Amino acid sequence: MDNVFANRLRKKSFSLPEAYGSQFAKRVFQRKDMLFALAALLIFAGLALFAPFISPYDPNAIDLKNKNLGPSEEHILGTDYLGRDLLSRILIGARTSLSIASGVVLVSLFLGTAAGCAAGYYGGLVDESISRVIDIFLSFPGVIFALTIMGALGTGIFNLMLALSIVHWAKYARMMRGQVLSIKKQEFVLSAITGGAGDFYIIRKHIVPNAIATLLVLATIDFGHVILSIATLSFLGIGLPADVPEWGAMLSAGKEFMRTAPYQTIFPGLAITFIVIIFSILGDGMRDILDPNHEGGEID
Amino acid sequence: MSLLEIRDLSVEFPAGENTVKAVSHVFFNVREGETFGIIGESGSGKSVIGLALLRLLPANANISGAVLFHGQDLFSLRPSELRKIRGKCISLMPQNPAGALNPVLKNRLQIEEVFEERGIDKKEGMKKSLRLMKKLLLKDPEKLCDLYPHQLSGGMRQRLVACMSLSFEPELLIADEPTKGLDPEAKEGAVELFTKIKKEYGKTMLLITHDLDLALEVCDRIAVMYAGEIVELDKASKVLGTPLHPYTKGLVRAQPRNGLVPLSGQSPSRISLPEGCLFHERCRYSGIECFRKHPEMKNHKGGWIRCHFQSLQ
Amino acid sequence: MSLPVLAVNELAMSFGTLEVFRNVSFSVSRGETVGLFGKSGSGKTTIGKCIVGLERPTGGEIRVQGENILNMGKKEFRKLRPKIQMIFQHPETSLDPRMKAFENLIEPLKLHSGLKQEALLKRGEELAELTGLRPEHLARYPVQLSGGEIQRIVLARIMALSPDFIVADEPTSMLDVSVQAQILRLMQKLQRETGVSYLLISHDLEVLKKVCHRIAYLDNGTITSIENINRGVKI
Repeated sequence: MDNVFANRLRKKSFSLPEAYGSQFAKRVFQRKDMLFALAALLIFAGLALFAPFISPYDPNAIDLKNKNLGPSEEHILGTDYLGRDLLSRILIGARTSLSIASGVVLVSLFLGTAAGCAAGYYGGLVDESISRVIDIFLSFPGVIFALTIMGALGTGIFNLMLALSIVHWAKYARMMRGQVLSIKKQEFVLSAITGGAGDFYIIRKHIVPNAIATLLVLATIDFGHVILSIATLSFLGIGLPADVPEWGAMLSAGKEFMRTAPYQTIFPGLAITFIVIIFSILGDGMRDILDPNHEGGEID
Repeated sequence: MSLLEIRDLSVEFPAGENTVKAVSHVFFNVREGETFGIIGESGSGKSVIGLALLRLLPANANISGAVLFHGQDLFSLRPSELRKIRGKCISLMPQNPAGALNPVLKNRLQIEEVFEERGIDKKEGMKKSLRLMKKLLLKDPEKLCDLYPHQLSGGMRQRLVACMSLSFEPELLIADEPTKGLDPEAKEGAVELFTKIKKEYGKTMLLITHDLDLALEVCDRIAVMYAGEIVELDKASKVLGTPLHPYTKGLVRAQPRNGLVPLSGQSPSRISLPEGCLFHERCRYSGIECFRKHPEMKNHKGGWIRCHFQSLQ
Repeated sequence: MSLPVLAVNELAMSFGTLEVFRNVSFSVSRGETVGLFGKSGSGKTTIGKCIVGLERPTGGEIRVQGENILNMGKKEFRKLRPKIQMIFQHPETSLDPRMKAFENLIEPLKLHSGLKQEALLKRGEELAELTGLRPEHLARYPVQLSGGEIQRIVLARIMALSPDFIVADEPTSMLDVSVQAQILRLMQKLQRETGVSYLLISHDLEVLKKVCHRIAYLDNGTITSIENINRGVKI
């Protein structure tokens, strides 16, 4: 019993809170794991952003004389079965993955927030219908669902984004709905209602700001999942056009040469693992930091 | 002979560049068989004392002073020795009985767990617990053991938690805010419960509470805390019946049945404490001395009081 | 005697077959404090919520200035709404944790008064002063405030609407003794200054006897008696 109590106490922070923004930054700096993940992400994003300038070769330049090379001075990570430079392809691939994933997460976040707010806040028939739609979307296994949509739409960056957004938005909606349900019962929302505030005002001013933290945590973790989904689809050969360098597609191409040229699968695989881990760490850290009640600094 | 002796205990928490002085220079001792109360408002530092005794404060707390239990300094013990004392000699009755019980386990299992942790025979322990439960006004304890925690009322849950805290016969029971958040019927029940524990059990208790009625009914001696300091310490009936310190007077008068007279102002910020007496800004008797000099604890007719004017009142 | 500020007639509420209360009738006149006493779980809070329009009772009527609010259209009720306000029991959830104290305080002013930024700030400061808040409190977030300070902000934000009637649901049960006295005295002061009426819901009879003009006892889902407390002259 004492131990339970002690654990609860350890969770309670005794520092006096400050303003939200500065507090958030400060807490990030206090956590070494988040700092590391953030730094790694920044480097990754920087590399992806400037990929066309820093990649040593044209990622699509075929050089059959130098195919299936291991790491060397000319090709730091080696070349693939068409002699294309792996480093250049991974860098450009980061650009592809990160930009598609950003799009998917943003669209899902927006759609999910809107649908979840409407369902949770208005309740009744609105809630019933939106919740059933969410249930339907969540009941399909993600990758197969995305596969089906891609099959109907055909390959392409925009189609991939669309397909993955359709798969992912329902998670956000369901979580938002839960958040709204608990927030709308709290006294500050009730006093806004008795104070004569309209529905839209309450949602905008009270509900979304209080619910969004949890959704941002989900979005951060989900970012990693979306990157995985992109890789999975491209691995299966239905994500992106063949000329777009992408990690999953690289894995798929490299798997033929696993014995003779393992680097073709190791390096893209590492890139995927690395980015997913980064987003997991960031999401975990954000969950700890963004809980407003963690800021409580009561002494007694 | 005092069972527990607190010597010059101070606790500070870092807060950015500042430090929050939660408890400063607290002295008191708890005699064997006595019920000692610490009363004060939220933020007065009373709970911090209770946690400091068990070394349950977060790691960033700066603690100084000594806590002697049977003459042995708890702060100098190794973790393994401390665990022994925490488990066998000192027991903490948790603040929130609903949260202290695992909702998916039947009550019997929760009680048995207490013995298991301490290597006591389950059957033997259970028998003892059942006797104890009968004594503590729980009817039909056998039946109660087969229920889940949520099937009990708040008052019953509190009794059960009390039984669990007492069942391995600790020498010292610390109860932290046992009436917080209870409704008045359950509060009355708590008074009855603690009186009973005292009578039947005769063990030493440290009762930390902001409930003046409970303190008056149950405690032998009371220390009143204000802004991290003890300002008055004496027999319960004297402290709450004829309070001497202006702060204690204010507390007593603020009770609905004593007139609901509010104390003006608020407790000072614990980062920058006022000079002189910590209470002078809210005190209606304060004189020039109170602004200048921080009063020391002084002996006054058998009790202790921290006020420059104790003899005038 | 003029019309009571609030008259509740034979109010009833049930969820399915579960009856929460029935036949609840009382009235409150201007400048009066009526206490509502009952055990926990007796439906006191639900009565309060019905009066401010947060719940819809299953029967009876609630008359504000003689008009039954249960028969009102949405628009009509919205006009009346600022006049009936509520204070809640739990200070820790009474203010939006993402907004500073002052933003919480001036929110109703923003919605209703149509004041410009500067006038808004000025009025906000006046209200803060009225409820005994210090400027440093206003720049803080709710987690940095004590229960008593939060209840003052809640009172200030309610007073911004110049209400006729306030339902106070256990406003001090979570507070320390001395702070409880401060808040209850503050409520009395506001009543003297503005003539606002209160329905004070509490499970602490001592508190009710000290501040109410009349006390209604709720037992077994209905009001069993209404006691007059001799409190000298009513406003």
